[in-house]
Amino acid sequence: MEDNRFTFVQVDDSLSEHIAAPKYSYWGSVFRKFFSSKVAIAMLVISGFVVLMSIVQPMFSNYDPMIAPNVNNHSMWFIGPSLEYLFGTDNIGNSLFDAVWSGTRNSLFISIVATIITTTIGTIVGLFWGFSKRFDAIMIEIYNIIANIPTTLIAMIMVYALGGGIWQLIFAVCVTSWVGTAYFIRVQVMIIRDREYNMASRCLGTPITKIVFNNVLPYLISVIMTSVSRDVPAFISYEVFLSYLGVGLGYGKASLGKLISNYSPYMTSSPYLFWIPLSISAILSVSLYIVGQKLADASDPKTHMN
Amino acid sequence: MKRYILVRLLKSIVSIFLVVSIVTLMLFTLIPRMNIFEKDGAYKKLNGDAKTSYVYTKLDELGYLDFVRQSEMCALASDVTACNNNDADQIAEVTKLYEEKGYNVKTMLNGTLYGYYDYKPFEILWNYFSKVIVVDNPDFVKNTYGVELENTGYYFGLDYNNIPALMCNGSQYKYQIYFDASFPFIHQNIIHFNFGKSYPTKAGMNTLDVIGFGQGELKSKDVTFETGQTFKSPVNLHTAKYKVSLDGLDSKKFNDNYADCDSYYQAPSMVNMSYLMGIISIIITYGLAIPAGILMSRKKDKLADKIGLVYINILNSIPSLAFIFFMRQIGLMIGLPASFPQLGYFDIRSYIMPILILGLMSTPSLMTWTRRYMLDQANSDYVKFAKAKGLSEKEVFNKHILKNAIIPIVNGIPASIILCISGAFITESAFSVPGMGKMLPDSIKLLNNNMVITLVFIFTTLSVLSVFAGDLLMTVVDPRIQLTSKKGE
Repeated sequence: MEDNRFTFVQVDDSLSEHIAAPKYSYWGSVFRKFFSSKVAIAMLVISGFVVLMSIVQPMFSNYDPMIAPNVNNHSMWFIGPSLEYLFGTDNIGNSLFDAVWSGTRNSLFISIVATIITTTIGTIVGLFWGFSKRFDAIMIEIYNIIANIPTTLIAMIMVYALGGGIWQLIFAVCVTSWVGTAYFIRVQVMIIRDREYNMASRCLGTPITKIVFNNVLPYLISVIMTSVSRDVPAFISYEVFLSYLGVGLGYGKASLGKLISNYSPYMTSSPYLFWIPLSISAILSVSLYIVGQKLADASDPKTHMN
Repeated sequence: MKRYILVRLLKSIVSIFLVVSIVTLMLFTLIPRMNIFEKDGAYKKLNGDAKTSYVYTKLDELGYLDFVRQSEMCALASDVTACNNNDADQIAEVTKLYEEKGYNVKTMLNGTLYGYYDYKPFEILWNYFSKVIVVDNPDFVKNTYGVELENTGYYFGLDYNNIPALMCNGSQYKYQIYFDASFPFIHQNIIHFNFGKSYPTKAGMNTLDVIGFGQGELKSKDVTFETGQTFKSPVNLHTAKYKVSLDGLDSKKFNDNYADCDSYYQAPSMVNMSYLMGIISIIITYGLAIPAGILMSRKKDKLADKIGLVYINILNSIPSLAFIFFMRQIGLMIGLPASFPQLGYFDIRSYIMPILILGLMSTPSLMTWTRRYMLDQANSDYVKFAKAKGLSEKEVFNKHILKNAIIPIVNGIPASIILCISGAFITESAFSVPGMGKMLPDSIKLLNNNMVITLVFIFTTLSVLSVFAGDLLMTVVDPRIQLTSKKGE
């Protein structure tokens, strides 16, 4: 044994200050958790593809349902899916491929804007609803009235009365649905508003607004995500539903619901015309829903520990 | 508890009233009123004065405005005959009179005077709701037709089947309270709802009659009338209404002027159609979803649970239309019709797919909740204790967990009725089922405002009362739950 194989170690004071816990970053954990699921990745790819196509393709095709250059050219009608026309052509000789992506864009736009409006209003109202007893007394009556009515009924009447534009449709579906979100948030707020750390905050004189946004809101991220993941497909379904019944979007606007409604007479003669838009709506809704659910799971800090 | 029920009932009525008034106002003020003539064939054929007159008569009938003709206006003039003969001074006088009352006075192409008064929103509502409930009374004939009848008033008598009934002379309906073999066995004709006339489809018919009367062919059978004669006829004698002038055939059948009867039809009415399908579908929903939810909770994280979760996720997210057409395609493959009218009312195969789809559409939420409640209960202390006592897994599940988990599920029954209604809109449309659900989008497309209001009223009442019933049902199943909060809580 030779002494030169050993060296003296200096005592490092700074090391004793270091806490030996694994590094934790919230968003890092969210993404790690999300991408650990194969289903989530697959669904993200599918929904990403559909969303991207619906944004990019209409920029090149400039599809307008009111323009039909081949309306008198019978040879262009009802061409089945081929390499030239990927989804075939419809009853007036327009390419279904163009129509579907342009329709998807409008349907997605409606559902995303409606979700943003519903979630924003619902969350803000729900936060204060959960906190203020006086506000609760009024809101619960409003909720009782609205929750009792079939919302589809109200949406149908609203679109009927206001006219069939995109913004009218968005208004009609938002007008009743925000109450549901607000109620959902209210219940969650009530569960956590009386926890010790909030009581402590209040004792220290923190204003309610600050408690709501700094203490309660972060806790609600996964709850809000769950609600968003339900809303987006629900609004797509809503638009398809209303437009199919003929009480949704008016003339001259493409949407998945309008396409399905317009092409339903050709269901037996040219089934692809009907089934392609229907399948796209189904694929989009299911993939967005599952991505949303997985993201909601991943954004719940309780799942980050294992 | 009694007070709670009363308050809750009042609140329900208020919310129904609010919804119906908002819808009524929206329909009457937001939609341009000339749009309602778009789908009217008679309107298109008319020209000139006849068209003007038709438009204002219809708008008056539908409650948009008050329409007055020259003869009516001249009744207020100082010299009625001169006014009717277009005397300039008199015309100017009545024009001024009516313009002061807020009327728009105009002249037709042939020179005759007419005026109309646009109702203000609150007047529209008042006019509409003041007419909704109609109570039959012994002075009805006198007030409506100006005919003085002898011996007016209520009396007990025997109807055509020799069953006792409360009858009335001088009222609109002859039979006020009567019994027959159809549910609910005792019927009344004293209070009727009047939601206005249907227009432009089934023009002139009361909206409630449109959805309440049977459909399809008339159902005739041998009927012995009051005069003792027997004819083959579809009439329902219990609905006899007063008729001012009788024709030859009527006087052969009836002794008095109560000769205006509704008919029996072979197929069920729109209301019955929707109810029948709704109730069977709810039974299917509960029959499938509760056992499935229980199974999922028992086999948590195993194959059955995973399959169930995939099913729930897909059904939750897929557009209902896509699901309906997908199921319809499966139905076509096994030989079921693609739409209801193909085989019609009297073939059971017409009903299978619409009912099954309606039932399946509300399974996912019920399955999720059943599973959730079962799992929540399974982790509670009393279950652990029951297991520690040595009860078998099956006994714990059936006797302890299920009984507690079923409580919130019972409360959900009414919610599934509401879901069923929304589902009915689209399912009935996709299958062309002649029910109330299909009627709503149809009447919206045809701008049949009164029909839309009627259906909104029916659907809202149904859902408000079913939520109420759900809460009451919950207190029956679980006595611990009290809807009224005690003082000091």
